[in-house]
Amino acid sequence: MATVRDKGYHHWDGRLEELRFPWWPVTRNGIRLSFQRKYFKFLVAFSYLPAFFFLAGIYISERLEDFRFMVRGSETFLAIDPKYFNTYFTADFVLFMLIMILVFAGAGLIADDMKHNALQLYFSRPLRKRDYLFGKAAVVFFFVLALTFVPGMILLFMKLVFSGSFALLVQYPWLPLSIVACSVLYAVVFASYTLLLSALSRNRRYVTILIFAVYLFSDILFGIFYGTFRNPHFGLLSLKANLQQAGAAIFGQSTPFAFPWLLSLLVLAGLCIVAVAVLSRRVREVEIVR
Amino acid sequence: MTAVICTKSLSRWYGNVLGLNDVSLDIEPGITGLLGPNGAGKSTFMKLVSGQMKPSSGRTSVFGERVWNNPPIFRRLGFCPEQDAFHEGVTGWEFVKGLLELQGFSSREAADRAVRALEFVEMISDKDRRIRSYSRGMRQRVKIAQSLAHDPDLLILDEPLNGLDPLGKRKIIRLIKDFPKAGRTVLVSSHVLPEIEAMTSRIVLIHQGRILAEGDIHYIRDLIEAHPHVISVECSDPRRLAGILVREEDIARLQFGADGRTVVFETHARDKVFSRLPRLFVENGIAVESITSPDDNLQSVFDYLVGK
Amino acid sequence: MIRTFRSVFGFYLMLAVRAPRARAFALLTFLPAVLAVVFRLSFPARSVEVLGVFSDILVVFYLQFLLIILALFYGTSVCSEEIEGKTLAYLTTRPLSKSGIILGKTAAYALLSAAIVLISLAVSFFVMNAGRLSAGEAAGTYLRYGGVLLLGIAAYTAFFTFLGVLLRKAVIIGLAFGFGWESILQYFPGSTQRFSIAHYLKSLLPFTPKAQGFSLLTFRLEPTSDAMSLVALVLITGVFLALACLVFRFKEYISEE
Repeated sequence: MATVRDKGYHHWDGRLEELRFPWWPVTRNGIRLSFQRKYFKFLVAFSYLPAFFFLAGIYISERLEDFRFMVRGSETFLAIDPKYFNTYFTADFVLFMLIMILVFAGAGLIADDMKHNALQLYFSRPLRKRDYLFGKAAVVFFFVLALTFVPGMILLFMKLVFSGSFALLVQYPWLPLSIVACSVLYAVVFASYTLLLSALSRNRRYVTILIFAVYLFSDILFGIFYGTFRNPHFGLLSLKANLQQAGAAIFGQSTPFAFPWLLSLLVLAGLCIVAVAVLSRRVREVEIVR
Repeated sequence: MTAVICTKSLSRWYGNVLGLNDVSLDIEPGITGLLGPNGAGKSTFMKLVSGQMKPSSGRTSVFGERVWNNPPIFRRLGFCPEQDAFHEGVTGWEFVKGLLELQGFSSREAADRAVRALEFVEMISDKDRRIRSYSRGMRQRVKIAQSLAHDPDLLILDEPLNGLDPLGKRKIIRLIKDFPKAGRTVLVSSHVLPEIEAMTSRIVLIHQGRILAEGDIHYIRDLIEAHPHVISVECSDPRRLAGILVREEDIARLQFGADGRTVVFETHARDKVFSRLPRLFVENGIAVESITSPDDNLQSVFDYLVGK
Repeated sequence: MIRTFRSVFGFYLMLAVRAPRARAFALLTFLPAVLAVVFRLSFPARSVEVLGVFSDILVVFYLQFLLIILALFYGTSVCSEEIEGKTLAYLTTRPLSKSGIILGKTAAYALLSAAIVLISLAVSFFVMNAGRLSAGEAAGTYLRYGGVLLLGIAAYTAFFTFLGVLLRKAVIIGLAFGFGWESILQYFPGSTQRFSIAHYLKSLLPFTPKAQGFSLLTFRLEPTSDAMSLVALVLITGVFLALACLVFRFKEYISEE
């Protein structure tokens, strides 16, 4: 007798339970789709280049005698302290690579759903608007944390391993918290930034350009005003400058620009608030067409 | 009659996937229905004969000319694509008029033709609304309007009845049936079999990139002699009727319907049996409630040909 | 082809002007004009700073940011928007030559970009230079700046049109070209600079590099003569448009279904 593989409909006696994290399928799908894009894996791998250099720096710092011929005069540069971690987190290249990753992974997060009228499909499931938005934001969180928190903690761990002691943690016990705080700040800000722009248009190509252009434009604007008026407060116009200012404060370092870092935090918080307001309006469960 | 569309060993593959496989077809003036399930190759064939794709091998010609990279031929050709895609920021009238101007008409003539075309598809009252505010059926009608507004000699319609309500479908079917006057040609595709049947009796059956059969629906049916014709009779005394039919030499097989009131039998000589049935019923006093031929339609022909 | 060009140009200019994106780009492009008003109010008497601000800062903004953004978006849109929007069939099933389609759309988008940029430039230029230059001098200088930006729009739009016709992910490559290649190459010595469009545009600007001091715009510039720069830009525009027409003529575009 042949094996019966299709038993048809079964009556199920179990209790219907809702998914504990209803946003999780949205996030998982977003991450999966991002990795399906051609060259994205290469871009992510390339983004880890600074992390490898900083890891090499940590190794060299523990072997300074062997590498003295190479690093003459750079002993202070290779001092592994919160400043070292701050340098990684606020490096122009790291921030730029984050933007490039968001261009690939984040531009179409909401734009594509709006273009294909997929919002109705989402909200015809037991999914609230905040679950949907959090699910989309979590895609950005994943990539930002993968490039900030993960390498940051690995660098810290490898320093402890290479040095063979907890001296760094004894000296700077708040360092792990700084890594977490800075990573979370970046994740929230970049998620707000990306989703805000993605919700402004149904055209992914346009959003791609917007993500890149607004980031660059804010920095150019800062450069123009600072170059003309020599007032560092114009740094508040630049997303990059604000992130670097806040990052330096989190790591307990002197800030790169001569204005209070709290102002940068306020600007970044303002960006998040604007993003939430715009997303609440743009992401609608029912599309009203006039 | 000179064929309007000629294809010779036409094949098209997408990477490793064979979209169309060695199709040689001549389509003559009148209405031809291209029928097949989703993924059969209908849209691929339509895109090849409308010049949107190049064949991987073989050739195709329309009005005796090649169609790929031959813009002048499109003065005589109208195409309604399957996709629901528009320039959304314009009104229906602006859309049709703009495309007519691209066709080469002056602004005034394009405006007149656009109005006529939209009247024809019953979109005149909504012509000044933006396309993004249209329902699915309205968008479909605008698409059809743009394809025929310039009075083409050949109309290629890829699933034109998608999204239309029953009244809309009837209207468009009537439009399609009226179109081929004065020697014009319509090639229409669908996977909904009754729709094709309602438009034309000349069909081309396509499945998995191959042409399974072409010609008149009844002629195709007759070709399939190996497959007997099924007739179903609902009556008051099916068992007695069965006993009578079993003695007839043209009856190949016989069984009872699940409802217990029907006799279903197969025959290779449909016409002969149909001519004898009334006499049989009368002579034997069988009260017949209905006689149907469940497979005398496109569905059964198609099901048989695709091996279901 | 001329008939195709005219009808495509008219249709797509209408669509482009109506699109909300045009308003967004106009807003972005008018920022230099707003900046010009701010600067002029801040520097009423120090005219040297005023000229410096315009030529070193605002023109940088136009040349190395706005022009590239506008040309990148509209240039890649020539082909990509039809493929993404699945409206290409409406063009390719009409008696329109494919070259005419490319040229008509490119011209429509280039005209829109040019209009936005030139109006913004007019406001910012005259705000910054009002009362400082004579009418003839001002008009001549403005026309020169305008001409440079027009040539920049033409050259960049042609290049990005070619990219858009050739590649699916043209925007990413375009960003890398516009903000990577074009910026980095200016630091290379000798003839290397001549492999960028920005070099020829900067060479045509109506001022020479400062003998002393720093100019962001003409940093390390080894300018090419005006005539050669003009020829190069026209050639770049012509060659990339021709290539775009050629590729579009023979390439198939299959929508992702």
